Amino acid sequence: MAQKVVDALKAKFGDAIVATASAYGDEVVTVKRDKLTAIATFLRDDPAMAFDVPVFVTAIDLLDWRPIGARGAPDPAARPAYDPGEHNDGLRFEVCFQLRSLAHRHRLRLKVQLKETDAKLPSLTPLWAGFNWQERETFDMYGIRFDGHPDLRRIYLYDEFVGYPLRKDYPKDKRQPLVRRPDLVGDH
Amino acid sequence: MADLKTLVLGRKEVAELDDEHELPHELMTVNMGPSHPAMHGTVRIVLTVDGERIVKGDVQPGYLHRCFEKEAEHATYTQIFPYTDRLNYVSPMINNCGYAMAVEKLLGITAQIPRRAEFIRVIVSEVSRITDHLTCVGASAMELGAFTPFLYFLKAREWLYTLLEEVSGARLTHSYVRVGGVGKDLPAGWLAKLEVRLTELEAVMVEVEQMLNLNKIFRDRMAGVGAISRADALAWGQTGPIGRAAGIDYDVRKDHPYSVYGEFEFDVPLGTTGDCLDRYLVRIEEIKQSMRILRQAAAAIPDGPIMIDDGRVALPPKAAAYNTIEAMIRHFKHVVDGIKVPAGEAYTFVEGGNGELGFFIVGDGTGRPYKCYVRSPSFVHLSTAEKIFHNHLIADIVPIFGMINMIGGECDK
Amino acid sequence: MSDQTQAPPAPPPTHVTLTIDGKTATVPKGTNVLEAAKTVGIDISAFCYHPGLSIAACCRQCLVAVEKNPKLQPSCQQVVGEGMVVHTTDVASTTARKQMLEFTLVNHPIDCPICDKAGECTLQRHYFEHDNADSRIDTPKVEKPKVVDLGPHIVLDAERCILCTRCIRVCDEVAGQHQLEMKQRGDHEELTTAPGQRLDNPYSLNTVDVCPVGALTSKDFRFTMRAWELDATPSICQGCATGCNTEIHHKDGRAWRLVPRHNPEVNGHWMCDEGRFTYADLREQRLAVATVDGLPATWDRAVKTAAAKLAALPKDGGAIAVVLSAQASNEDNFALAKLAAAWNAKLFVAARPERGERADGKLRVADVNPNRAGVAAIAPTAADLTDFEIGVNTGAIRAVVFLGHDLPVSETALRRLREFDCVIALATHERGPVKAAGIALPIAAWAEAHASVTNADGKVQRMHAAFAPPGQAVPGWEAVARLASAVGAKVAWAGARDVWKDMTATVKPWAGAPWGREVRPLSLRFAGSRG
Repeated sequence: MAQKVVDALKAKFGDAIVATASAYGDEVVTVKRDKLTAIATFLRDDPAMAFDVPVFVTAIDLLDWRPIGARGAPDPAARPAYDPGEHNDGLRFEVCFQLRSLAHRHRLRLKVQLKETDAKLPSLTPLWAGFNWQERETFDMYGIRFDGHPDLRRIYLYDEFVGYPLRKDYPKDKRQPLVRRPDLVGDH
Repeated sequence: MADLKTLVLGRKEVAELDDEHELPHELMTVNMGPSHPAMHGTVRIVLTVDGERIVKGDVQPGYLHRCFEKEAEHATYTQIFPYTDRLNYVSPMINNCGYAMAVEKLLGITAQIPRRAEFIRVIVSEVSRITDHLTCVGASAMELGAFTPFLYFLKAREWLYTLLEEVSGARLTHSYVRVGGVGKDLPAGWLAKLEVRLTELEAVMVEVEQMLNLNKIFRDRMAGVGAISRADALAWGQTGPIGRAAGIDYDVRKDHPYSVYGEFEFDVPLGTTGDCLDRYLVRIEEIKQSMRILRQAAAAIPDGPIMIDDGRVALPPKAAAYNTIEAMIRHFKHVVDGIKVPAGEAYTFVEGGNGELGFFIVGDGTGRPYKCYVRSPSFVHLSTAEKIFHNHLIADIVPIFGMINMIGGECDK
Repeated sequence: MSDQTQAPPAPPPTHVTLTIDGKTATVPKGTNVLEAAKTVGIDISAFCYHPGLSIAACCRQCLVAVEKNPKLQPSCQQVVGEGMVVHTTDVASTTARKQMLEFTLVNHPIDCPICDKAGECTLQRHYFEHDNADSRIDTPKVEKPKVVDLGPHIVLDAERCILCTRCIRVCDEVAGQHQLEMKQRGDHEELTTAPGQRLDNPYSLNTVDVCPVGALTSKDFRFTMRAWELDATPSICQGCATGCNTEIHHKDGRAWRLVPRHNPEVNGHWMCDEGRFTYADLREQRLAVATVDGLPATWDRAVKTAAAKLAALPKDGGAIAVVLSAQASNEDNFALAKLAAAWNAKLFVAARPERGERADGKLRVADVNPNRAGVAAIAPTAADLTDFEIGVNTGAIRAVVFLGHDLPVSETALRRLREFDCVIALATHERGPVKAAGIALPIAAWAEAHASVTNADGKVQRMHAAFAPPGQAVPGWEAVARLASAVGAKVAWAGARDVWKDMTATVKPWAGAPWGREVRPLSLRFAGSRG
């Protein structure tokens, strides 16, 4: 659908494109973290790209990613299972930015892969104001830090909450009582 | 719309009202919500006010966070339908449809959904859209002091809820749509009842519009309040009635036609100023356009199956499940293991009551989603509230908030 | 959990290349077509075939078409040949397999809602994935006995049996005892015990695992828990020094059964009945809170009291005895041995006495300690309890810190221990000497912590935390760390991984061994691998 966008990105940013894929009508482009801002700026400002609408931000925690095909055997066609690496330095998180162009009616999903030990990336809120709360939500749920975000606080949960609930290693049935700690408010 | 608007006096910017000779004053923090009579949905706003003027409004959602995504990661694809009902609980059918379409996309069966099921999905979605808009407009009018439209609209909404109850068995939390079709067929004579109710609804619309459209109090509270420019609305990701009120010509049903929406004629109303009055007018017009779609769909709905003919997706009939081992196993595998969805990720979006309602599902070959993210329009729109509040009066929060139509379940997930 | 992947291709002469559904597979000579198909991702349905048993080819569920062969061949029995061309998706073989399933289901009772195998049933899986068609017959089903007591652990439901004979072969080939047989023919064929026999052998419960349906059920497990509601966590059996690889099946912090996990180097597909029942002890007599003088205490007070008592002893360290445990994990033993070194204390090892009658040359061995080899590697100089007893009796030992609840010493020594002022137990269970200890610190049992044990062959195997330990219990190494910080020794372990790193840097035979992935419980209904 947006193949020309992918081609343009490959031509202009060659090395910074880690992978491209097509997922059910959406083009998915995985980019290097240090080039994210440059690529995003290009996507927004270039008239042929004109991605003017921020759609959503979320992350995928690959910790339990073991895709299975027929009879429970590993699915050879899918992305391989997550490998934590001996130093826990596997690329555990994938942050997704879904963009849409109102003018050209095309869509694109930008992805950045992050290590557990280094889960931060540049914020795109300065480019698209609508990503403000979405990035806060991703921070709240996955503990991924967006550098340059104007107001990176928890959004659904309270400041005293320990852990990041949508990480795969956060137990579904874990309970934590809210113990007010005024010293924590807004301090992250 | 614009000609009506010229009748209304231009509204002075609040900032200009400041008097040089005002008494010394300082900023004050006021806590609005999370439980407040003028807030539908539990949301807290920490206002920093300069007298009556809002300097900063820190909107804090999350009081209704029920871990939709975490729960979804531990439930089979079918078990998630009841959770989607509780996202936008004013128009659950649309959530049902959007979610089902996302799973169908991953399964690769989108093209095989029976036509009758697609028509039913459109019909219940549009009925839901009307209930959504009726609630939004009625409640907002009530909060501005017009209690009668609220009663009229809620009465009409109840007619529609009763219709949906006849279809699904539940007044509000329908869980009606299934992966591969819909749960059951429309009851006999249902479409005729729908037509009766639509005719009655038209009469109610006339009554309410007469009460509100030229009502001086209502217009004064709405016109020029909470205006947002088209460029800002785009950058903030606004869609749906709010985005269209700001002049963004985007309706998923028109721009990316899904289901059988491409076969119907309907118009997408657009506003010019992006203020609360435009948001109101867009919603009123959308109710009428939904009725148009409903009448076309009711006339064109074909006969046929309502569920895909695929043993791996569709549940067997109950009688067979009780009496043959084959159907029993199939039933069992469906309920216990869930529908096996191949590994991959898909983003599907539909036009929800409030805007682009998207489901981003990552499957890993098992019977449950590895990740099930919902792009909820309420959340996106509420994030713009702080920007819209700025420099308005505290009293303006009521119409702005009403027209943003924050639905707690959807916003807080 | 899926089986271990096959070994990478060795030199060509030992291998043959064949084509299955157009895909080229290179497999070792002697492999059967069914296994060869697996290597290229093709699933052929089968009931009687089991990779750990001899080939019976009696279920006819795995028929495939082999070119130049006029009849369909059972792929489990068909050995691969060079240049062989196999079809599994052609009309003839697909129809044959579908009809076999339909045939099998003709007399299968509608038992899924009350069947213990439901959710992990091979018949269910094959029907759903390979047939998924409606029944074409409505004659009454053949009735057979529903509750047959076969032996001390197993009940048979003959109606559910699909006559695959896997259980007969398990008894013959794994246990080496002919205890099961088939009787009658046709749709009256039925599983029964051999004349004069009961299904009673040390490996009998493996028949329940291999049963593709719910015909054989374990008395211990039946009607207690639905299989699909369980979570699975890989672990190692603590019953003896073999270290059979297991899976703990648990729900809401409670283990419900142990099943073997395939490991060709240790236990193959099997484990013994005795080992399976070791899970029950996870809930018995557990020490859940720290105690001081027999009364509950906070961790803080308990370790402070312990530190004060230890500080009152002479500094040369000779008066302190630290007893490691051959029942506890490498990590716990290493942590305690390290603390002992800081004190310059004497090291001992407690181990359960051997049970010679267990040894059968198969999986069961006489040594019932899961980690004797591990402790020997960690503390090669540690003495056994004979010296410990002498020390206690002569008064050379005046303080004891011990791990676990097994302290097999004489009554006299135990009585003397009770008079000691400073006896500190780090224990999972509140038993025997733990009750006598002045200070007892609760630690996690084998199912509750990430740890490792070393089997008799010196193989270090990982266990994973299935659920949280009861009450205030913490992993053993963490209890040691708390005790150490109370006495002023420095340890810097934030997790079992850190202890492992420290240990593999110190203990020579394990140098550089990787910690690997910490596996968390996997919901069986979504694992897609059972049945």
